[in-house]
Amino acid sequence: MQAASTYSRDRCVTGIHGLDEILRGGIPYGSTVLASGTCGSGKTTLAMEFLVRGALAGEACAHFTATEPSVKLLENIRQYAFFDMNMVDTGLINVFDMDVLYSWLGLDKSTFDLDDVHALIKSITDIVNTIGVTRLVIDSVTTLCYKIKSEQLIRDFLFTLGKKLATLGCTTILISEITSATENAHWSSFGVEEAIADGIVVMGDVERMGHLLRFLQVVKMRGTSHSRAKHAIELTPLGVMLTPMLKWGSQTDSANWGA
Amino acid sequence: MFELDQRIAEQLSTISLNSSVQVRCGNSNAFMVTASTMLPLMQMFEMGGVYITASRGAVEIIQAFESIGVDVSNIQFIDLVSSGILGGTDVEYSNIHFVDSPIMLESVLLRTLYILRTTSSARNFVFIDSVNALAIYNEDRMLAEYLHTFINTFRQREVLSIILNVPDQTPPLVLSNLDLYCTDLVDRGQVVIH
Repeated sequence: MQAASTYSRDRCVTGIHGLDEILRGGIPYGSTVLASGTCGSGKTTLAMEFLVRGALAGEACAHFTATEPSVKLLENIRQYAFFDMNMVDTGLINVFDMDVLYSWLGLDKSTFDLDDVHALIKSITDIVNTIGVTRLVIDSVTTLCYKIKSEQLIRDFLFTLGKKLATLGCTTILISEITSATENAHWSSFGVEEAIADGIVVMGDVERMGHLLRFLQVVKMRGTSHSRAKHAIELTPLGVMLTPMLKWGSQTDSANWGA
Repeated sequence: MFELDQRIAEQLSTISLNSSVQVRCGNSNAFMVTASTMLPLMQMFEMGGVYITASRGAVEIIQAFESIGVDVSNIQFIDLVSSGILGGTDVEYSNIHFVDSPIMLESVLLRTLYILRTTSSARNFVFIDSVNALAIYNEDRMLAEYLHTFINTFRQREVLSIILNVPDQTPPLVLSNLDLYCTDLVDRGQVVIH
């Protein structure tokens, strides 16, 4: 009789309070994780804390920002006690403006073709390789993919990028903007990102009697068992904090409570 | 002169940090019972803590303590009431934290955990004032589930939980669950004949 396999993949410990417990130790190394969420759900804060915790452990980290200028991003994140600007100054956290990257590559155009996409992938992987980045965030892949008109090209872009980053030993969070995080909603804007990703973390709001309560749910993570329950989150000065959402409080329709 | 119930201090001296105490009071003795519970914790046992108020604004409670000569500046207050009043959060006390509504139960738990992570006290308590006030806003099953989670969360962390409760204003399901989860009972509830 064969013994049960005890093999488990090495983990990228996120350092985020509660998330590593949900993931039974962290994200499997080299994974590409889609963090999909509605506006104001805490995606950027979560991703930035992921980088900060890595930087505190001496890892080189990179953040590609397409949704807001890096100056604004850093200004917003400075309110959190977990963030230290020295990490940026000393090169542990490297923040890149996608607009600047496009200019370097001569991609100042509204639509990308196959060659442009390959040039972009090469540029990102070259940066990751040169700096030795082990934690990467692209914020957001939705904004980036707006320039890629074909679904097939988006699929190729994300698949190739994810594969190349994984071979470089880099664990990646791709932020995706969605308009709804309810049960019937898509987990990505284009519908293809979720198929490519090794993991999907959904973030959104539960409405409870007129109040919005932020939640996080890991719906998929290859290479590890994990909780699939909804967790309430708070963005505190010390970072993101999670607790399981009340089972009787997850229903948005309060009229059903007494049923 | 304000008189404390000394028997509460005696009873509290016998319990351990991972206990959860249900403190029953009536409408007219609520503050006396609250003060008789809080003072020994702060002064005799030198504990820090978090006071969660769903019954009244935190400023009113702080001023009630000040009126009997008790300094509560080292206690952190989570106020679930004042955000519902325009201008209610414009206060001069730095030890008050606001949560939008008593319906945001998970936020209250996370805020409490956050405060405990930042506190310098080695021994801490969390004080809920009160279950019957939370019951105004929350459905019975959700409140019972919440108290179960709350008590176990702090018991595991060796933080003493004190749950204030006016029994005749508390739904029977919640009350029976409290009886089940809490390790100790301080009963100063007054019999009400309807």
